[in-house]
Amino acid sequence: MARSEQRRGPMVALGGRQQRSRGRLRGLGPWPFRVLVYGFLLVVATYVLFPFAWMLSTALKTEAEALAIPPTWIPGEPTLDGITGIWVRKNFGVYFFNSTVVSLATAVLSVFFGALAGYGFSRFHFPGRQVLMGFFLATQMLPGVLLVGPYFKMLNAVGLYDTRTGLVIAFLTICLPFATWTMKGFIDGVPPEMDEAALVDGCSRLGVFLRIILPVLGPGMVATILFSFLLAWGDLLWALCLTTSENMITVTLGIARTVGEFRIIWPMLMAGSLLGGLPAILLYLFLQRFLVAGLTAGALKQ
Amino acid sequence: MATARTKAIRTGYLFVLPALLLLLGVLGLPALVSLLLSFRPEGGGGLSLEQYRFLLQDSLFHQTFWNTGLLVVLSVAAHLGLGLAVALALNLPLRAQPVFRLVALLPWVVPDVIAGIIWKWLYNPLNGALNDVLLRLGLLAAPLDWLGGRYLPLVSVILANVWRGFPFVMLILLAGLQAIPRERYEAANIDGATALQRFRYITIPGLRKMLVVSLALDTVWEVRRFGLIQAMTQGGPGSLTEILSTLVYKQYFKFFRFEYASAIAVVMTGVLLLVSLPYIRMISREE
Repeated sequence: MARSEQRRGPMVALGGRQQRSRGRLRGLGPWPFRVLVYGFLLVVATYVLFPFAWMLSTALKTEAEALAIPPTWIPGEPTLDGITGIWVRKNFGVYFFNSTVVSLATAVLSVFFGALAGYGFSRFHFPGRQVLMGFFLATQMLPGVLLVGPYFKMLNAVGLYDTRTGLVIAFLTICLPFATWTMKGFIDGVPPEMDEAALVDGCSRLGVFLRIILPVLGPGMVATILFSFLLAWGDLLWALCLTTSENMITVTLGIARTVGEFRIIWPMLMAGSLLGGLPAILLYLFLQRFLVAGLTAGALKQ
Repeated sequence: MATARTKAIRTGYLFVLPALLLLLGVLGLPALVSLLLSFRPEGGGGLSLEQYRFLLQDSLFHQTFWNTGLLVVLSVAAHLGLGLAVALALNLPLRAQPVFRLVALLPWVVPDVIAGIIWKWLYNPLNGALNDVLLRLGLLAAPLDWLGGRYLPLVSVILANVWRGFPFVMLILLAGLQAIPRERYEAANIDGATALQRFRYITIPGLRKMLVVSLALDTVWEVRRFGLIQAMTQGGPGSLTEILSTLVYKQYFKFFRFEYASAIAVVMTGVLLLVSLPYIRMISREE
């Protein structure tokens, strides 16, 4: 239900337009205009895809070929050395595990607490509600560098420096406000009548939240979990400042460290970039229809 | 009646409380520590404005401030320009629209560290693809050192940043365009409005809210940008691509000037809150 609410705007417009274009063949106008539009999009597509193609091509080269002058565009003898190299010579598997565990824990925690708060904001009009919501939104604007210094000291003091737990706590600063606003947007789409029916049946408020609201929010909740996951996955600053040992660092930090090495092995680094970027790309492809609704946090409502 | 209302109010607070306490703990506390730290003299006790006085005189801070300003203004302007152009093109009845929208989103999807690394390799003067392409097309006479020299590094960083950031704006504006009722365009057509008039009097007003949202969010993100610069240049060569976030990081974790780093971060936060205030008010008020 929440899902159909969120999707209504763009989807209806999309469907409407497709029908129209079928109805009116010359929808795009005269041919010079058509050529112009497609030409422009082709240039943009090249700009967008070329760096990825270059990454992929390099990831499949031998180191010698990557250093050829002039560079070759398609690997002469494609090899998986870069990909195996990053797993064997770096602890890429460990980085991957750390990133996954930390991002997942952050995402689940933020979405649970975010949904609780989102339910409170959505259903109860208590004094100070608007100020509090503004506060939640404003915390999203704070730069990480304002917080990361004190975090370093605080985590050291309680023995959580260079641990995954410490990183999860830190990532909550990014993900919790975001999750609160997004979940509130989704909960707004659930009719309050559903709550009232359950309350009449003798359910407590918390019971309504856990048994009625959360199940209905399914898709929206999954989307918010995955976005929070990706917010945490893409971070460099916090990992850089709050972890240091090979057993604790994340994928992004592992890759960033490789750039800082004296001799950069480019096929290996591009293979790492490919592997580090792939989960994000796959999740977004899967999620893109939720993207706008999630990111503008209710701003899209007409 | 009155008791039911107070009970509802209390329940509302209880739902919000866990997240609020968590946020105050994990975010409010460190923010407060930073704020206090910024009013301390180096290594000493008491409160003073020493760090802020120093900040005003520090030429490195000045340069970093302008670098950040330039990066943010140019990146955001390019994101909006390119994003709007692509969104308008994609709003036309094109069969390739869904595929193209997916493809165009890719740069924004990868972690910005990875975007920075890809572009660093693309810019490589000897083995990079960019020089090779431009040389082959005859647009360059000799290989260019994209991340060297006086002005080019910042330009190159911005170019990579435009690549990484425009898809988000495109996506938001496209959603905004698709939400504009088609009847308005049809009515305008009947009234004999030109394409330019339709754009000026229907498209732009219809997009206003989405333009504000993308402008605000994008500006905030670009001011906070860290991974891309850290991966590409680490603020170098010298301090030519140093931005506020990399400077704070260096001052804190490399030079251990905790108080000074905090002062820079506080200034940065002030700027961010100022920039995002209209957005925060607009969004909160709608509730």
